Amino acid sequence: MNTLIRRLAAFPLVLLGVSSLVFVAIRLVPGDAITAMLGTQAGLLTPAQKAALAAYFGLDRPWIAQYWHWLRALLHGDLGISVTYGKPVLEVILQRFPLTLELALLSMAIALVIGVPAGVYAATHAERRSDLVLRIGAMIGQSTPSFVFGLVIIYVLSAGFGVLPAMGTFTPLLKDPLANLGQLILPALTLGAAFAAAVTRIARSAMLDVLSEDYVRTARSRGVPARGVIWRHALPNALIPVVTVSGIEFGYLLGGAVIVEQLFALPGLGRMVLDAILQRDYALVQGTVLFIAFNFMVVNLLVDLTYVWLDPRIRARG
Amino acid sequence: MSLLKALFRHPSGRIGATIVLVYLLLAAMGWIGLTPHDPLAQNRIARLQPPSARYWLGTDLFGRDVASRLMTGIGQSFLIAFLSVAVAASVGTVLGLVAAWFERFWDGILMRSMDILLAFPAILLAMLVVAVLGPGTWTSVLAIAFVYMPIFTRVVRGPALSLKNREFVDAARTFGSSTGYIVTRHLLLNIVAPLTVQVTLALAWALLTEAGLSFLGLGTQPPAASLGVMLSDSRNLMEMAPWLMICPAIAIMGGILGFNLLGDALRDILDPKTRVARA
Amino acid sequence: MSTTKKGLSTLALAALLAIPAIAPVHADTLKMAWSQDATGLDPQKQTAFSSIRLLELIYEPLVRLDAKLEVVPAIAKSWAFGDGGKSLTFHLDPKASFSNGEAVTSSDVKASFERLLDEKTAAAARSNYLSIASIETPDPETVIFKLSQPDVPILAAMASVNAAILPASAIKDGSVGTKAIGSGPFMLKSWDPNASEVLVANPHWAGGKTGVDQIDISVLPDETAIVAALRTGKIDFALLNDPLVATMVPKVSGLKLVRTPSISYNVLQLNPSRKPMTELKVRQAISCAIDRKAVLDTAALGEGKVTGPITAPAYATDPSKLFCYKPDLAKAKELMKEAGYAKGFTATVIAATGEPATAEAEAQVIQSELKKIGIKLDIKMMQLNVYVDAWLKADFDMAVALNGGRPDPYTMYNRYFTKTGNLLKVSNYTDNELDSLLNQGRVETDPAKRKAIFAKFDLHLAEMAPWIWLFTPDTYVAERSDVQGFVGSPMGSLFGLSAVTLKK
Repeated sequence: MNTLIRRLAAFPLVLLGVSSLVFVAIRLVPGDAITAMLGTQAGLLTPAQKAALAAYFGLDRPWIAQYWHWLRALLHGDLGISVTYGKPVLEVILQRFPLTLELALLSMAIALVIGVPAGVYAATHAERRSDLVLRIGAMIGQSTPSFVFGLVIIYVLSAGFGVLPAMGTFTPLLKDPLANLGQLILPALTLGAAFAAAVTRIARSAMLDVLSEDYVRTARSRGVPARGVIWRHALPNALIPVVTVSGIEFGYLLGGAVIVEQLFALPGLGRMVLDAILQRDYALVQGTVLFIAFNFMVVNLLVDLTYVWLDPRIRARG
Repeated sequence: MSLLKALFRHPSGRIGATIVLVYLLLAAMGWIGLTPHDPLAQNRIARLQPPSARYWLGTDLFGRDVASRLMTGIGQSFLIAFLSVAVAASVGTVLGLVAAWFERFWDGILMRSMDILLAFPAILLAMLVVAVLGPGTWTSVLAIAFVYMPIFTRVVRGPALSLKNREFVDAARTFGSSTGYIVTRHLLLNIVAPLTVQVTLALAWALLTEAGLSFLGLGTQPPAASLGVMLSDSRNLMEMAPWLMICPAIAIMGGILGFNLLGDALRDILDPKTRVARA
Repeated sequence: MSTTKKGLSTLALAALLAIPAIAPVHADTLKMAWSQDATGLDPQKQTAFSSIRLLELIYEPLVRLDAKLEVVPAIAKSWAFGDGGKSLTFHLDPKASFSNGEAVTSSDVKASFERLLDEKTAAAARSNYLSIASIETPDPETVIFKLSQPDVPILAAMASVNAAILPASAIKDGSVGTKAIGSGPFMLKSWDPNASEVLVANPHWAGGKTGVDQIDISVLPDETAIVAALRTGKIDFALLNDPLVATMVPKVSGLKLVRTPSISYNVLQLNPSRKPMTELKVRQAISCAIDRKAVLDTAALGEGKVTGPITAPAYATDPSKLFCYKPDLAKAKELMKEAGYAKGFTATVIAATGEPATAEAEAQVIQSELKKIGIKLDIKMMQLNVYVDAWLKADFDMAVALNGGRPDPYTMYNRYFTKTGNLLKVSNYTDNELDSLLNQGRVETDPAKRKAIFAKFDLHLAEMAPWIWLFTPDTYVAERSDVQGFVGSPMGSLFGLSAVTLKK
């Protein structure tokens, strides 16, 4: 319980650090919202025009004042206005977040459904041919850059089968579940492939570790059927590292999958923040990074809590 | 030496080490110019040639030999991977040791700073570093190092913290050993095993991250190319000249596979627990 | 992950994907894609190609440019210069009306130009209209621009969506950038930046009925994915930038590629304020060393045309008559020697990643060409916004650029090469001859004489070689075979979409 409170107490501190880091970093990048909007034509502006635009984009005050202003608004739950979208930052984020969340969940589901059984199977058939095949398959999955995988999927499906998911606009789950799934399944597979590979490897090695532990051996020697030992006794313990790895991976995915969203033209968080950086939409970049960092920390905390739940030993110590 | 022997006795270690050695050899040949053609020489008449006896892996948009570019590309990618992991591992290790040794204040400051870096979306962190400093080999190194440093800090801090309170450290302290001696001799030496494993895995990830950065146009500057740059340059030529994508893709996958296999083998060899599991 | 499992999941996948495809689509909706979205909705302020492409469908200027770059009616049905070129009178089309049904009147025109000229609006295009001294509106259908000096190019300059006519009421209540009410063929129904927009036909458009009722635009950042989407019929019509992708389109059955020669130009900008580009002979040596055709053939697969400074066909000089357009290495080396750089030198060239798509390849060919005369060129690729920042500060030795062309040479180059040009700080080059030729061309009203003046300008500029003009690219539209009637424009405009129909 104490740990939980300590962890929660660190949240504001870390978020403050993240926000100041992103605040400074994005402003250190050459070019600003004016050059982003006008390109080389920005050179045609008169000083008075430039001043008018700087005031419009809020660039006319010193950094410290801008940061202070932003921070004060943040305390009131206001993340500012995005200049690209002309809407409150939080509204823009919440509009894009469902896609990212769904994509992350779907990828994780794919990864776990494939990865855990594959890992268990490999561990129980350790050093046999099937184990080798699975391991090499997992490693290849993990070593393929996602854009290669995505490009190949898109090419093979469109040229070979004449099908392709809808691109550009996003159909929300509640509006049309089938269309929604049809749109997300390929990107989720692209992300899920590497993810599944990672899960397979971790599940395998964790399972091997557990199978060598005393209590499993004891259970085995007492004549508990092998299947029962594996699923009832060994798996829950072997799941701990799997939870860690998928938790961390899930946390990353919640930050948006920039490359896959780019390829499949999905309006998710990753592409949005990439565009925001390119267009120097400072408020949107700051707000989104903060949002992503917050989610990441929450997920991490949940992962840690899951350990406690999965592992009675930690619970006892707790 | 015994480690090397053990590696070659380990089934996946053997494959992994062989792959990495072959890559290093190819990279070295690329560095000293032992390539079939000049990797930078453009040849207007031989543009986009499929693989042939003259050009083993075909030519690119500029009529440059893909095989030669692949060799220098492996060099470039490995350079970035090794340097970035070296920076991340050394800085991360030092910070982890400092955090563990001083605990309290420094531990708090350092670990919260690492939390900040970890909570920052990795690809954005790398992107911002590149955007601020301008793309280039050294920037890629720094960007990737930045992303992996906190992981090393965490990997080192945990075991160092528990080792520090063990009897032999106390003993060394009462015998008057200097702090530096204790930290390097007792702490560092004992976490070399998890560190080594982490290094090989980080190398694999660095190759992948470099490819990702290149896809976003943030990698090595032309006309030199890393594997990632070759791969991302090929994307709009995928149909016209598939070899331009296939070759670097396989090279990247092979490299990552090599590091991963090596990492797994090292884990088996260095970690006594899994050794028992095998027995 | 056995193969059977994979096979099964592929099947299930194909079934899933096919479902949304058979959902009924309105027959007169054109599904369109491009890789870059607009950045804003204020037609007077936006300057990016990607924004202008969209806004040209929603807003109209007084006049338009046709496919031959001739000025043709839009909101104005006729016009005439008077007072020795010092006044310009427009008669508005009485049918012209905004998408809210209100007629376009002379007071809207006056309010729009006053907004454009107001420095607080911060419209970069303002500099093209500075000769406007006052605007008179004798009746709702007549507007008279009084000019402070004869200004012939202003007419063609008005044929830009940056001089679009906005409703005076929208200007008054400050809703221009948010509501998008124009008099163009389409209305903006919804816009989700960097993702999608929906355009519907404007029932009040003076040009009549559009060929399609609705255009659904999706932003697909990856052009390979655009071709895949065209191939599978997810989209009907797309804008492409990369010649590597565009040239694949005709090979796909059921797809057509519409190529339109553009008047924008790919150029290697030298910085004559930096050593040794300060030396005329060095610049000329670079001009003689670079084989422009080689750059075009390699970087753009030959898609385009080698060009001199002036790109509009009405004024352009035959490139073979320009200085050193036939590569001449011996002469280049000789010039380098005369300038005292027989051993060459080292310089850096900057280029923007993906902007244009061919930039990186152009830089690499130029690098290889200049190596032949001992110039060691380092390439620095930059993200667009970073590049723009460096470009505006003239913080480069050389820069690969794609600059927009204008039908009138004065409007195109006065900003760079007159003594009062506001981008002189970027070009860093002018001389008395360039300055006087451009200003003569501005006030000359006789077409033949103007042509002669600009021909002289073209020759002189190429010989002084502050920049190395390379080639004009083609612009590409890829469409499915049931899309009919699109006509491209040398300005890259998509206004031709108003006439596009879908064959059922």
